[in-house]
Amino acid sequence: MRVSLNWLKEFVDIDQTPAEVAELLTMAGLEVEGLEHKAQNLNDIRVARILDIKPHPRADRLSICHLDAGKKEVSVVCGATNISKEHIVPLALPGTSLPDGTLIKEGRIRGEISHGMLLAEDEMGLTDDHTGIMILSNELRPGQSLSDAMDLEDWILDVALTPNRIDCASVVGIAREIGAFTNKKIRMPEIHIEEGNTPIEDLASVTVLDSHGCPRYAAGLVDQAKIGYSPFWMRYRLHVSGIRAINNVVDITNYVLMELGQPLHAFDYHRLADGRIVVKRAENGQTFTTLDGQTRDLDDQTLMICDGQREVAIAGIMGGLNSEITLNSVTVLVESAYFDPIMISRSSKRLSLSTEASYRFERGIDIQGADFALKRSLMLIAQLAGGNIAKGIIDCYPEPWSPARIRLRADRANEILGTTIDIKQMADHLSSLNMAVRAVDQNRIEVCPPPFRVDITREADLIEEVARLIGYNNIPVTLPAIRPTEEDYTEFVLRDRIKAMMVGMGFSEIITYCFISPRSADILGAGEKSHLRSFVRLLNPLSQDQSVMRTSLIPGLLSTVRLNSLRDQDDIRVFEWGKVYIKGDGELPQERQVLAALITGLGSRQEWYQEPREADFFDIKGVAENILEELGIDKTEYNRNRPKEGFDPNEYARIFYSGSEIGAIGKVSKDVLKGYGVEKNAHILELYIEPLLSSVVWVKKFTPLAKYPSVRRDISIIVNSSIESAMILSIVKEMGNDLVESVDIFDAYQGKQIAHQEKALAVRISYRSDKRTLTDDEVNNIHEGIIEEIHRQTRGRLREGRKNGHPG
Amino acid sequence: MKEELRREFQAATDSLTAKAIEGVSALVDVTLPGRRAPRGHLHPITQIAEEICTIFSTLGFRVVEGPEVELDYYNFEALNMPKDHPARDIQDTFYISDNVVLRTHTSPMQIRVMEKQLPPVSVVAPGKVYRPDSDISHTPMFHQVEGLLVDKGVSFGDLKGTLTTFAHQMFGRDTKLRFRPGFFPFTEPSAEVDIQCVICKGDGCRTCSYTGWLEILGSGMVDPEVFKVVGYDLESISGFAFGIGVERIAMLKFGLDDIRVFFENDIRFLRQF
Ligand SMILES: [Zn+2]
Repeated sequence: MRVSLNWLKEFVDIDQTPAEVAELLTMAGLEVEGLEHKAQNLNDIRVARILDIKPHPRADRLSICHLDAGKKEVSVVCGATNISKEHIVPLALPGTSLPDGTLIKEGRIRGEISHGMLLAEDEMGLTDDHTGIMILSNELRPGQSLSDAMDLEDWILDVALTPNRIDCASVVGIAREIGAFTNKKIRMPEIHIEEGNTPIEDLASVTVLDSHGCPRYAAGLVDQAKIGYSPFWMRYRLHVSGIRAINNVVDITNYVLMELGQPLHAFDYHRLADGRIVVKRAENGQTFTTLDGQTRDLDDQTLMICDGQREVAIAGIMGGLNSEITLNSVTVLVESAYFDPIMISRSSKRLSLSTEASYRFERGIDIQGADFALKRSLMLIAQLAGGNIAKGIIDCYPEPWSPARIRLRADRANEILGTTIDIKQMADHLSSLNMAVRAVDQNRIEVCPPPFRVDITREADLIEEVARLIGYNNIPVTLPAIRPTEEDYTEFVLRDRIKAMMVGMGFSEIITYCFISPRSADILGAGEKSHLRSFVRLLNPLSQDQSVMRTSLIPGLLSTVRLNSLRDQDDIRVFEWGKVYIKGDGELPQERQVLAALITGLGSRQEWYQEPREADFFDIKGVAENILEELGIDKTEYNRNRPKEGFDPNEYARIFYSGSEIGAIGKVSKDVLKGYGVEKNAHILELYIEPLLSSVVWVKKFTPLAKYPSVRRDISIIVNSSIESAMILSIVKEMGNDLVESVDIFDAYQGKQIAHQEKALAVRISYRSDKRTLTDDEVNNIHEGIIEEIHRQTRGRLREGRKNGHPG
Repeated sequence: MKEELRREFQAATDSLTAKAIEGVSALVDVTLPGRRAPRGHLHPITQIAEEICTIFSTLGFRVVEGPEVELDYYNFEALNMPKDHPARDIQDTFYISDNVVLRTHTSPMQIRVMEKQLPPVSVVAPGKVYRPDSDISHTPMFHQVEGLLVDKGVSFGDLKGTLTTFAHQMFGRDTKLRFRPGFFPFTEPSAEVDIQCVICKGDGCRTCSYTGWLEILGSGMVDPEVFKVVGYDLESISGFAFGIGVERIAMLKFGLDDIRVFFENDIRFLRQF
């Protein structure tokens, strides 16, 4: 809500500077988001009188004005047509800058010298009017500063209103707050009405058929009004409040709306059939054309204002084209009503039509203020448009408002706030907010909030008002004694550990949007029943590309690779820890946590001490192994029984641990890379956190360190390339019983130096007993047995003579 | 060519080693970079969220998490925002169905936690939240940390003390704070917390819109309506709640003015943290 400080000063005396007022309101809970100094640059603009106007000799549309500018006379070339001799106008002399930054210079226009410029209202930033040069009052003297002469200097406060403080969506509302915090009384405008002789009842009638939707409907009437242009001061105030000027009567309804917070509507009385107003629900399927020319679909939940025959306005939201005030209107019927907030709110949403009126009605206006606002508007119409006010007003208000009575306990208030405020002081503060306060006993007061404070219904609301008036910053600072509660940290501990490891292995964490394109499932090659297709869909996404919740973190990883490669960053290690959202049978989807990591580009960079190397499968596998070892998860199985969506069929594995799938690793398939516009190969790791959690060894057990020496033996063997190394390791472990302390593959080779379809593996076995020193014979025996079994199962050839290095 | 160079380098190294063996210290170019393991970086949002949670953990708050796809009931209704409540308008919402939304704040965790346990309650709940907004200061997904303390005799003064401690730990011991009235349907009284502008130290600059203050979080005393919903005894307990925007804090701490960079994941950006 934008409000003029000069306007506020009509309601309350303000001694503070504009900045102090802004601070005061902000600290009262009405945050001032902006403070604009109006007309500060208008000091150089002078009042001038037109002495003579001559047509420009070489331009039909221009004229040359000869002006009295006080100390001197000047000539100005001007294109406006609304000026004539003797008019008083604003003049910018050369050297003046306008609010939009334009610097006025002396210049020649079509050969004629122009010593400045005559100004329209919008050029001075006063209104948006550009219909002609601003014509000033005849009482102003040429040479005066315009700003001083018209008292134009002003400050506009831009107040951010919270939804509960609809009472402050008006000049009077903000003035009341300033008054309460500065101990000043509020001045309401005085109403002087010269009524005519014809009672309004003889001219118009109001029937409310839905008293729930419309608890109060007041109407007044002005005859013989002259519809025209509003005076500058009114248009200025509407303009700074963000409201467009239309004509004097409509402007007055808007002016009173801004001033008092009561929405008003003016009807052309002669277009109301039978001079009647009927408030009732619309019927389903009806349509209605609002003031803005739009045809709206109605239903039986929409409250309508009708005349003797048809609808003339959507109650509380917008009037109709069929009864609006035009320049030909003569008699004006003004409506000042209270409509049910929920009804207006629902209708406004259904119609997608929100107006200054609906904004206020749906939050609840001052039901007691309807007649005052009506009379204020009638008075202004009579003043600015002339005409005769009908005798009296119509006021359908069958059940007058009665104040709520709320008990406030001083001890409870002090307990909640942590204060020791005296009950008397609480009462004084609440009284300053127009609340009626009555003492009940030493600890309790009874409070009746005023009708405009619709937000105050409970003791808690009163406690907040007390805190506001005391000032939040005056409440003592204390620290609570927090009692420890039961902890269950496992998941966060796991996350922190894994994230720290990822960072240690050179991965940077990314956070990508959790909504992705539904095409992602197609790109990943998801089968028809794949969980990757169990999307949670947004009803109102920002775009199709962000219209479903992700079922995989891979799209986010690959999009990140693409973005970075467009920026010449090709060697990337990133990971994301986040949720995937799988729609199931329940109302809410399953939210599963996943760690996903990706390597692309170089596995190791070129350095002075090393050659560059492209990242491959074993880079990502190493990451998986490191993490699983850290979590105490051994005996994992890398399984290729079922294909994995999105992965290269020759280079992937699902990771299992005691029967449950805990992750996957592999190379991203060519199609998927293409789908995400990624050119280089990428390898991905996924770990599924929920199944992992149940496998983690939280407490690691100590194994006594070996006391007896170990014996090392190597095996070098050439096998068919389809034989997996894991098979050889498991043979060693099985055959060696508890005498095999460890077994490692220390070399693996596939290539030119051996036959196609074959690979060479070298295995190092460490034999050790925890009970005695092993003898050579003992070891040889077991070792021979192992070699035999490997040979039997793999049909491999044992390589002689080499214990280390590549075969060849 | 490269191979040749390498051989020469090797030869030089060998001769150095030989000298070392002779007892003469080899001349090593100590300005050559060391052999480094690659190093990654935690996302700045993670770092700040962890820092926030750690501060509150130290004060005795327990960390909890909950669903991001949330029932309208938890996101709005139970937090004193029935349908037609005007406060729903200020928070545009992504809808999944009539009853299901992407949570617009971490506050539903207040209800979920209190439904499961009796007082005392002291939790912080970090997580992702969603609102359909996208510009230099809004992204459709962002992060919050919710806090809730409920016990006998918890006061607004305690709220001030706890959040002052937080701000001092986050932004430095001499950071000035101010508390001013705000509005949240589920707290009463509600308070916005500002810190003195970290850029201009209160003199006024573009970042603080020339006010000298920066809003860092919203807070308030738990509204009795919320206690009613979870069946707590209104008279014997009280509590406070707060919600901290993680991106907001991160932007202030790291000196960023465009929130969108957090979710672009430009590796050059991530490496700076
Ligand atoms: Zn600043």
